[in-house]
Amino acid sequence: MARIELKDVGHCYGPAGGRLEDYALQPFSHVWEDGGAYALLGPSGCGKTTFLNIISGLVHPTRGRVLFDGRDVTALATAQRNIAQVFQFPVIYKTKTVHDNLAFPLRCRNVEETEIRRRVQEVAALLNLESSLKKPARQLTADAKQLISLGRGLVREDVAAILLDEPLTVIDPQQKWLLRRKLKEINTALKQTMVYVTHDQNEAMTFADHVAVMDQGKVMQIGTPQELFECPQHTFVGWFIGSPAMNILPCTVAEGGVMIKDKKVPLPALAKAAATAAGALELGIRPEFVQISDTPGAGALGVDIREIENLGNYNIVMLDLDGLEIKAKISVGNPLPDRKAFIRLPEKSTHIYASGQRLNPGT
Amino acid sequence: MFVLYRSLKYFVLLVWSAFVALPFLWALTTSFKTANGVVSGATYIPWLQYEPSLEGWKVLFRGEGKGIDIITPYLNSLTVTLSASFISLLLGTLAAYGLSRFSWRAGPIRNADITFFFISQRIMPPIVLSIPFFLMLRMLGLLDSRAGLVLVYIALLMPIVVWVMVDFFNNIPRELDETAMLDGCGPLETFWRVILPNCKPGLVVAGLFCIVFGWNDFFFAFILTFTETQLLPVAIVSLNSSVTPWWSLSASSLIAVVPLVILAFVIEKYLSSGNLAGAIK
Amino acid sequence: MSLILEAVGSMAEDQMHLADINLTFEKGAFYVVLGATLAGKTSLLRLLSGLDQPTSGAITMDGRNIVEVPVWKRRVSMVYQQFINYPHLDVRANIAFPLQRAGLPGDEIDARINEVTALLGIGELLRRRPGELSGGQQQRVALARSLVKNADLLLLDEPLVNLDYKLREQLRPEFRSLFGNNTSAIIVYSTTEPLEALMLGGRIIILDEGRVLQTGDVHEAFHNPACETVARVFNDPPMNMISADVAGERIILGDGLVLPRSGHLAGLPPGPCRIGIRANDLNLEQSAADDMELAAEVQLSEVNGSETYIHIHHNEVSWVVREDGVHSYALGSGIRIRFNPGRLFAFSSADGRLLAAPDNLVSGSAVMEG
Repeated sequence: MARIELKDVGHCYGPAGGRLEDYALQPFSHVWEDGGAYALLGPSGCGKTTFLNIISGLVHPTRGRVLFDGRDVTALATAQRNIAQVFQFPVIYKTKTVHDNLAFPLRCRNVEETEIRRRVQEVAALLNLESSLKKPARQLTADAKQLISLGRGLVREDVAAILLDEPLTVIDPQQKWLLRRKLKEINTALKQTMVYVTHDQNEAMTFADHVAVMDQGKVMQIGTPQELFECPQHTFVGWFIGSPAMNILPCTVAEGGVMIKDKKVPLPALAKAAATAAGALELGIRPEFVQISDTPGAGALGVDIREIENLGNYNIVMLDLDGLEIKAKISVGNPLPDRKAFIRLPEKSTHIYASGQRLNPGT
Repeated sequence: MFVLYRSLKYFVLLVWSAFVALPFLWALTTSFKTANGVVSGATYIPWLQYEPSLEGWKVLFRGEGKGIDIITPYLNSLTVTLSASFISLLLGTLAAYGLSRFSWRAGPIRNADITFFFISQRIMPPIVLSIPFFLMLRMLGLLDSRAGLVLVYIALLMPIVVWVMVDFFNNIPRELDETAMLDGCGPLETFWRVILPNCKPGLVVAGLFCIVFGWNDFFFAFILTFTETQLLPVAIVSLNSSVTPWWSLSASSLIAVVPLVILAFVIEKYLSSGNLAGAIK
Repeated sequence: MSLILEAVGSMAEDQMHLADINLTFEKGAFYVVLGATLAGKTSLLRLLSGLDQPTSGAITMDGRNIVEVPVWKRRVSMVYQQFINYPHLDVRANIAFPLQRAGLPGDEIDARINEVTALLGIGELLRRRPGELSGGQQQRVALARSLVKNADLLLLDEPLVNLDYKLREQLRPEFRSLFGNNTSAIIVYSTTEPLEALMLGGRIIILDEGRVLQTGDVHEAFHNPACETVARVFNDPPMNMISADVAGERIILGDGLVLPRSGHLAGLPPGPCRIGIRANDLNLEQSAADDMELAAEVQLSEVNGSETYIHIHHNEVSWVVREDGVHSYALGSGIRIRFNPGRLFAFSSADGRLLAAPDNLVSGSAVMEG
């Protein structure tokens, strides 16, 4: 159990001191508090594996320092860091019983046998594996095997953090939510620092209290799932989190509002925030927040309805604003205008971005 | 630290190269020595202090009316090895494809049992096989002939080919065959146009094994041939006499090794061009 | 052109894969086969392709029995879940392969390749080998190879399942427009995802444990699931179910809630039945005066795309509530759930048959599709 602190950590597989763009992980600083549930989320090749390996000690960062509870572990090897890891595929000793599987890490450390039995019982109870302790591990289902992999990390009291690398890959889709729940329960009960690495936004956002979204070696945003969804700090996050993705509309600033395709939208706070910004401006709004009606009015934009996808519980309406595509998500039952419609973009759910970075209207 | 590490690395490499290359060098120098040169020994450097002579090499080509003719056994070995390897590969690959893709049943016997039956033929020591082979070839009138040896080698090599290739085919998704069929290929065309081109690495491994075995075999060639047909290993051994002729033995060994060295270079090139890696995802 | 399956069954190794399948496929139509994993979707597609033969029943094409016609003499294309391309050929040769087998002239092959690669946006990749491509690109190539043949029957077996969700999101609308204009072929698309079925539209075939449970228009089937199993398979999350008892003018739900026997539920026969409600119809806020309300405990809140699925527990009943947006709830926290009795489904507790379904909410699209 430890607080993990990253101080200006960055890694480059090529020669050190190269350009920042060549870094597999661009330098950044962050703190993971003790006992939290965290996730690293990003598409393949975004640098999350490098990040994970830096924490576990398989990769020594080109620059920066890694601290566990204030202790500098940057130079320490994996074995000296007390990290437990759960991989994509269950790693179990097939010929051993469940009990012996769970006891293995303790036996390796010459823990007393009575103590081992106590710890294994405790962890087995937590994982609902008590009834199968005497069974050979190979007879278990995939999700139970994955629980054993996790359990081997949990039996050790000195573990600094548990790293989970796409742990639900082999789990049957219908069973996933049970294991997700189990993981959350364990995190709440044991207050172990857990870091969950995945490319699947649903996995990350369901498990973690704080998610770090990564792309091309950069940490784009760290925040609660709700923050990532409602207030993406980067257009990449707006696109990557949520389905359908956020609407990203090129725009310019005018007096008291924002211009989209020569049409003025009254978004004064956003216009003010963007007044002095450099770089291409874009407006971002999620399809959920686009308001649609059949009557024109102040601040409403006239659009054509191009297509309606009826998805049973809601409709995805494809709107055309002078050639720009805007999606709106409307509940079934809400009346939809015919062909011509008017949309409003509520300012509190709309964001403005310069070169992809969100501009904060508060300042 | 770094310099020390690098010098150590080169030192190890140097020792290893010497370990590998020296026997060849030794054989090379010996082949140019005479009886005196071999036996007397040298004062300082054994590879340089001797009187060079072509005696060892002349013997191989019936120089001055004596010795042997090494060219005929050489060609025999080439013919037998290549034809046995080719036929084994052809039949073995087809058999392996059948075993990998279709289910066969004969009572309790299934595909896996058949594959094991193939490879089980190689569990027996060769000496056990030699007598039946002898009797069978005699019945067929193929003793002391290249055709007889080719038959025997096929029997010995095909199991290995089947074994290597079954494993290889099992790793090619069945959907690939199906896609080819859906695209209009009959079963044989599917095999020829789609499956085989994706098995090159397996074919190389199996082929290499066949050629090396066929080329090096002494045991069966010695038992099943006498005077009419002679393979290279047998011919080399026949050079031996009461006074071991180290010089001509060395020369013939060097000649015998040449095709394998060439093969090694070709394969090495194939390996390094990344052809073996990631043929199938 | 029509492809007809009559009383088709398929067994392998003494295991039933499909039983008593009667289906008709018409040229120019788009069919979605929906079912959970192992429901028999792949078995059905393999029978249609001719890769497997049925153990009973007949398959006819325009009245002609085609069971004995070998695969390579049929005009069928198939896209698998795995990305299947010829590894030894580059992209261009991969797409040209079926055309060359069919003996088409070179300029015709070129023309068709240009057309299909432009359609799928893979014109830049022609000289690459499949192994050098990303999963999404590989699947586009496989699709191109299947489309280029102009086959009579195009089968797609969960083609998106192995792609990450952003790629799925991108490819689904593309599929919709690719297959929307089809007039010449029978297209059959299998999936486990209700959302995909609804998005692609067309006609639906719902499979469960090797049997066809329902066929018909996708949206029609969504609003009127033939039975409880369909209601579960055709909703994500699966429809919430609860046992109930109809007595007099009241319907007593298994967890103690009492509803009036009115509206669309008025016709329910007395005695036990099963009541179903979509996760979407369970709300956190009150929307109407006659909403039913229950207090429950949160088991887990799962994020799914732009929605949150809240797994709740209430008197031995485990339900899932769908909420728009991303929210988190602590495990074990209390929550109040409301629902409108007008949104309930009722199924027979004897055979699972649909007894009553809520009125279809009139949506814009229904009006437009007219």
